[in-house]
Amino acid sequence: MFQKTLEEALLLLRKRLCDPDFIFSVFSDSPDSNYSKLKFILASSVTEACNNSVLLLGPRGCGKIAVLDLVLQDLLKEYPDMISVIKLNGLLHCDDNCALKEIARQLCIEHELMFSKMASSDDNTEFMIAMLRECGLAHKTVVFVLDEFDLFAQGKQRLLYSLLDAMQSVSSQAVVIGVSCRLDADQLLEKRVRSRFSHRKILFLPPEKDDLQRLLKHILLLPIDSSLPQDFVTGFNSRVSNILADKRFNEITDKIIESDSTVSNFVRFLFSAVSCIDLKSGYMTLENFKSALSTIHRQPKLDCLKDCSILELYIMVCMKRLEVKEQTSYNFNSVMKEYTIIQDSSQTVDNYSRNVCLRAFEHLLDRQLIQFADRGHNQFIEFRPVKLLMSHFQLHQALKSNRSCPPILLKLMEK
Amino acid sequence: MSKEENPQVTRRTTRLSSSSSTPNAIESPTKSINLPPLTLRNLVFEEKEPLTFDGLISSLPGRRNQILEILRLLGPVNCPLSPLFVYGGASTGKTSTVLQVFRHLNRPFVYSSCRTCYNARQLFDNILNQLLLHRKSEKNGYSSAKKCEKQADFVNYLKEALIGVVDGLKGSKKFEGCVNGNMVYLIFDSLELVRDWDKSGTILPLLFKLHDILKFPDLGLVFISSSSFDTYDSDTGLVDPIPVYFPDYTEDGLRQIFLRNESNPKLRSAFLDVVLKPFCRVTRRLDELSTALAPLFTKYCEPLEDLDIIPNEEMKRKLFDCLKPHIGPALNGIFRVTSQSSVEAGVKNNLKRKNTLKFFGNDSVEDIDFHMSTSAKYLLISAFLASRNPATLDASFFDSTGGSANQKRKRKSSEKSRDLKEASEQELFMKGPGTFPLERLLAIYQCISSSEEYSLENDEDSKENTGLDGDFGENSLMSNILLQVSSLCSASFITKGGSCPLEGSTRYRSTVSEDMALKVARSLKFPLSKYLYRR
Repeated sequence: MFQKTLEEALLLLRKRLCDPDFIFSVFSDSPDSNYSKLKFILASSVTEACNNSVLLLGPRGCGKIAVLDLVLQDLLKEYPDMISVIKLNGLLHCDDNCALKEIARQLCIEHELMFSKMASSDDNTEFMIAMLRECGLAHKTVVFVLDEFDLFAQGKQRLLYSLLDAMQSVSSQAVVIGVSCRLDADQLLEKRVRSRFSHRKILFLPPEKDDLQRLLKHILLLPIDSSLPQDFVTGFNSRVSNILADKRFNEITDKIIESDSTVSNFVRFLFSAVSCIDLKSGYMTLENFKSALSTIHRQPKLDCLKDCSILELYIMVCMKRLEVKEQTSYNFNSVMKEYTIIQDSSQTVDNYSRNVCLRAFEHLLDRQLIQFADRGHNQFIEFRPVKLLMSHFQLHQALKSNRSCPPILLKLMEK
Repeated sequence: MSKEENPQVTRRTTRLSSSSSTPNAIESPTKSINLPPLTLRNLVFEEKEPLTFDGLISSLPGRRNQILEILRLLGPVNCPLSPLFVYGGASTGKTSTVLQVFRHLNRPFVYSSCRTCYNARQLFDNILNQLLLHRKSEKNGYSSAKKCEKQADFVNYLKEALIGVVDGLKGSKKFEGCVNGNMVYLIFDSLELVRDWDKSGTILPLLFKLHDILKFPDLGLVFISSSSFDTYDSDTGLVDPIPVYFPDYTEDGLRQIFLRNESNPKLRSAFLDVVLKPFCRVTRRLDELSTALAPLFTKYCEPLEDLDIIPNEEMKRKLFDCLKPHIGPALNGIFRVTSQSSVEAGVKNNLKRKNTLKFFGNDSVEDIDFHMSTSAKYLLISAFLASRNPATLDASFFDSTGGSANQKRKRKSSEKSRDLKEASEQELFMKGPGTFPLERLLAIYQCISSSEEYSLENDEDSKENTGLDGDFGENSLMSNILLQVSSLCSASFITKGGSCPLEGSTRYRSTVSEDMALKVARSLKFPLSKYLYRR
């Protein structure tokens, strides 16, 4: 019985964490939030029947699309049959023909028309303009959402031009919303496009610390009026509140915020923590958050260095020595020369043949700990110049933490 | 490698080949007609008994923590999942672990590897075919379910297909018991290869953003990659998935793997005690270790009459003494395909090195171990010389008074300052073998083969005299020589480089190492060192 309750609770938590709409609804109530600003702009263009355009800018994972979706959902409820939404994504539709086709397709679905796959790009443009006029006459606002807006600004920007140009006419009634993580997105536009674009921008920033605190409560506390048993919910919630008040927990969240304070990063951390909940005890503990921190906060280079065999470490130390000697470029042959010098001067057990060293060298290339410094492809591996992809400090750190590392190697590293 | 192979891996290949590729159908056309239509049941491993948890853990030794982590992140049935990024070095069991976990959970998934689907279109087709339960067959002309070339089309079709599958899973009760839950998981294997595709600039962000673009809560994404997330880069950043790291196997893990399915574990573990440690210093990659250890183990067992014997201390020591001389060469060799006899010869050679050093000429191991015609050998040597020697010195090397010019050159080079010599040595190190046009190769070839003819005429004892006469008649530059050049090219003894901007002709480069060239020269009794320019 308890097991079932717990699974239900977990399902609820995970559903919340995977649903950006739920996460960002916490920020929607304050009057000066992005949600209110955006809603005001859109609502006024719907009621006043005018054309508009706006850019939503901000780093990835700050909820641009999520907030926009919330606003659109609300508006669709408030003004039914007065809005139709067309969604495009720069990753998918950066090609003009493709974008026009997609617009025509979505317009057809929206207005229950037949969509012809064979229609040419010209037909689609004509259709779009005709539809815009019709919608304008019917006092229906068409909202174009262009995600990854910067990608639409590549090439000739024909799509942007034809969209914005169509909006210049009195009869149309449309809103273009560009969403981009490039803060200079409006600078990418051509002059003819830019002059038709209203320079409204809404900036999305990573949340402050108190906001994150609110977010935590919003996500982790179970609702009291749910199908879950009352005593379980109160028990769970009191534990969560205890953890949230804990000083050690604050240290953990500080670490997360220091590296990346976007909401999506935080949500990923919470997802990992929720997935760590032990199904037997059933409540969240501080340990869950600690282990989540360690999974999210990985240092791939150090992990990779820890996995290296002794021979691979030798090769990297040789490369480091060459770099210290200020040899501008070096390749496998020079590394091998250094390696044989080391092996000759101090008879170690790790004296291997050239072929074996070459294989270890290739492993390092596979692991992306080293990389070719040139772009040529017709040369052999032995002769192509290479470089280390980590700092000397990282290498030293890895050698020190490696228990099987021979002491001579450390000495060579430090010299 | 036999220990690595487990039944479920072969199962996976058959499962995939039945749904996506066609080799079965080609083999037996009648069979393809009789195949039953695919159902949603084909999205899970088709087994009566799902893998138990203990079975899962024991089938993948050394991967317990990773299995637990993946299971935790996947969560109970019907849990939404934010995208997972499984990464770790080569042969650390990423793919097998993920697939085994799905076999254990018995949840529907679509596996597609970016290695077999070598471009975006193949990948899209493969995923859609599996989701739409489409099988390429004779009836539909081996075509795919949907034609999708653009990413936009793919996303639309994918959404349709996912809705279809999930509705099917939710709607009917008949899958209960054999399919768990109504989440569909897409598994992308070998994702690191996508970075080298054309248009990878848009495909990778699309794949990582797929979850947000589709907004489909019943979809789980699992990416498997051999390189970490920080090596993927895009202009405007990517959405980070949740990382799951697979470290290399530890020595204990390797031992457990090598002891699996072993008839005589005691003997095996005695063997591993001896060899595993030194080999782990070189590499901890399972695939390489298993190829290196397999011949050594047969060697180890050779003195034993009864393979089921449980070795005691004394015997272990004796076996180790027998094995000892073989370990060194095995450590220093890579991927030895040659038969047992040549390994033996190599060992003998190592033992007798001191004796044979003086007259290495008649040592059998120094011979090249493949057949090559005499003219090909000469071509190989000419290519080697053309790559190593500067073109300006060709005249002095190959004119009729070859010997005296050689002397002069030697004196000249000794006059050079030490610094210059070092610098040029460095240059050779950095630049590698030089390139040369075909004409130069043929000229050198003609010189050395004709001078050889001359010397052979003097040398009455030569056995190869008759053979050479056939090859080097008056018109030695016949088409068959050009044919030889092209076959050397395709055997990659010589590589074709880019064309020279001034002359416009294709330039060649010899890839042969000096040891190899010396071996070939020795087999021809050709004095290679006399012609080689020593800096």
